[in-house]
Amino acid sequence: MLFTSGELTTQELRLRERVRAFLAQNLPPGTFEPGLGMSSPADRAFSALLAEQGWIGMAVPAQYGGRGATAVDRFVVVEELLRWGAPVGHHWVADRQIAPVLLRFGTEEQRRRFLPRICRGELCFCIGMSEPDAGSDLASVRTRAVPDNVGWRLSGTKVWTSNALGADFMITLCRTGDGTGHQGLSRFLVDMHSPGITVNPIPFIDGSTGHFAEVVLDGVLVPEDMVVGDIGQGWAQNTSELAFERSGPDRWISSFVLVQEFMRAEPDLAASVAGRRWIGELAAQYWTIRRLSLAVARSLDAGQTPSADAALVKEMGTRFEQDVVIALRGLLDRELLWRLDAQASPTVFDRLLRRAVLESPSYTIRGGTTEILRSVAAKGLG
Amino acid sequence: MTDNQLSQAATALFDEFCSWETVGRAESAGWAGELWQILQQTGFTDVPVPDSLGGSDGSVADAAQLLRTAGAHGAPVPLAEAGLIGGWLLTAAGLSLPDGVRTALPPSAGSLRLEGNRLFGTVSAVAWGHRAHYVVGLVDGVVILAPGPAATNQRPTVSRAVNLADEARDTLTFDGVPVTALAAAPEGVTADSLADRAALARAALMAGALSAVADLTLRYSRDRRQFGRPIGEFQAVKAHLVTVHQQARLATEAVDGAVCALERGRGGFEIACAKVIADLAAVAGSRAAHQVHGAIGMTREYPLQYLTRRLWAWRDEAGGHQHWADRLGAALVEAGPDALYPAIQSGMEVFQ
Repeated sequence: MLFTSGELTTQELRLRERVRAFLAQNLPPGTFEPGLGMSSPADRAFSALLAEQGWIGMAVPAQYGGRGATAVDRFVVVEELLRWGAPVGHHWVADRQIAPVLLRFGTEEQRRRFLPRICRGELCFCIGMSEPDAGSDLASVRTRAVPDNVGWRLSGTKVWTSNALGADFMITLCRTGDGTGHQGLSRFLVDMHSPGITVNPIPFIDGSTGHFAEVVLDGVLVPEDMVVGDIGQGWAQNTSELAFERSGPDRWISSFVLVQEFMRAEPDLAASVAGRRWIGELAAQYWTIRRLSLAVARSLDAGQTPSADAALVKEMGTRFEQDVVIALRGLLDRELLWRLDAQASPTVFDRLLRRAVLESPSYTIRGGTTEILRSVAAKGLG
Repeated sequence: MTDNQLSQAATALFDEFCSWETVGRAESAGWAGELWQILQQTGFTDVPVPDSLGGSDGSVADAAQLLRTAGAHGAPVPLAEAGLIGGWLLTAAGLSLPDGVRTALPPSAGSLRLEGNRLFGTVSAVAWGHRAHYVVGLVDGVVILAPGPAATNQRPTVSRAVNLADEARDTLTFDGVPVTALAAAPEGVTADSLADRAALARAALMAGALSAVADLTLRYSRDRRQFGRPIGEFQAVKAHLVTVHQQARLATEAVDGAVCALERGRGGFEIACAKVIADLAAVAGSRAAHQVHGAIGMTREYPLQYLTRRLWAWRDEAGGHQHWADRLGAALVEAGPDALYPAIQSGMEVFQ
């Protein structure tokens, strides 16, 4: 019998059932405000509850507090959480990004220090990459780290950093050498409570001030043991971990909850010819992209580094999750009025739609723009 | 044979007997007769029919693999109709394979009706119908094997037609022609399940054609130089190359998923998804491939058109993307919002 990488094993299906049962019990629909993918709210208590189930830092070995699970196991859990609209914001970066980074590049001491706390859902991380003059061209970062007798002094400005306000730590890319471009870059873990750090909120497009921030580093002392891997290896580390970051469900599922709520809120429109065709086409696209995304997770479990494939999946996945919002607006074909009198509170669907319209342009920007991804994917062709 | 061995053997065969010259000649000749002979000798026309009925054994996955290779070569022969579609109908009904060229009637079977063992009525868009010694079809809940226009006596009349790729899609008229064999369709063999097979077969051909389009386009982008360098080095062209490869990957993955589901006894949802995706991919992939090729891609002298004309034709055959999207959407709306994601993960029953 044909077994393709797009199928789940019995054990993986059992895990999915456990996650579903957990969500039905702890986060029943209608009792919480669903989020749109990974930009859902941070909820420390929910993260702690998830961690009790062993579902944060799952792929971390048991000796560091994890479950030694596979990338596919993590895919199964994350997919359920995101399609449910669960509030994953608090632990999201720590789980997806920091745990694998520390396992690959971290010192034994760093692993012992951070991984158990990540697996308990305690730590919130942010990623300080972009700068005023370094967005897609990350190799031109100017934030500088200079040796100090007990470690490094970091000075510079990071911008458009998501969740910097609530984060406990930031992973950041700095220039440590005299080289230019990809040379002389290193990564550090920075305690966000260190003296010399100022976090200035940057209002996000939806008017919220808790999401984006500017992080100003003014001679922040970072101890030697907070260097990630070797000095000068920042660029190589950054590119090699992209396969983890770039092809998971978070890269194509962001607007799913909106589709589901559309079916609930507008049953007649959903059942019209145009509605049915749209939903059918969407389902086919979700089904196929999900299979490709799952195949990348399988390939990670097989010890491969499918960076080009991951870029290929993310490039189409993020355009797809954006297209969903655009097509839905076309189907609705109405003004999105937002009543300001307190008596008429908008419905869940209205709130999600407003948020999706405003934030969906970020889908094809965050974590590598469509243009950058095409370059990476094109290198892997043939 | 393993999947890989089958794929290599099929590729070698099509490389040798289905060159672009062969495909071009078939447009005036009406098909590629020599290729058909070779496919029949190797038994590739008879996958996945069991040995006991005169077939070559093999799984649905094997049949789909052969169709991908055939699609990549634009093979002008009724391979899908002989095997995955018609071969399945005959197998399900327990009818043995006939000698000679066979094709399958479209799932709707036009206005055909059976009176006793005689066939009356007209059916159009029969793939390579004019060359068929036999046609296989489902008429009034009965699986029939009937003489085709190439049979020696008691045969239907034929009026020729071609699709966008100049592949024969003929109209056959039966005026009381006695069928060669018939059997009541067993459970699971319905107009819907036949339509599923036809859609899967087209999607597999399309996935193969799209992969070939992707290869051809990448090669051309490296060979063709403008402004002093290969055009594939330009960012704007790279974007098209990525699109073509993505579309080929999407179609291939969707077909793999549908084949896998069918082998597990499901498939309604997955096959509908595969046809929707293949149709969308055909449009997006062909468009990007032509853009990379520029004017040479618009000529009959260059092979891209053998593939893209097929993709444009096949997207509407066996039910176009709106038909399948509507069918999927109707079932999903019926099942309700909370069943939507589980369906995306594990499929569902899809009823017309």
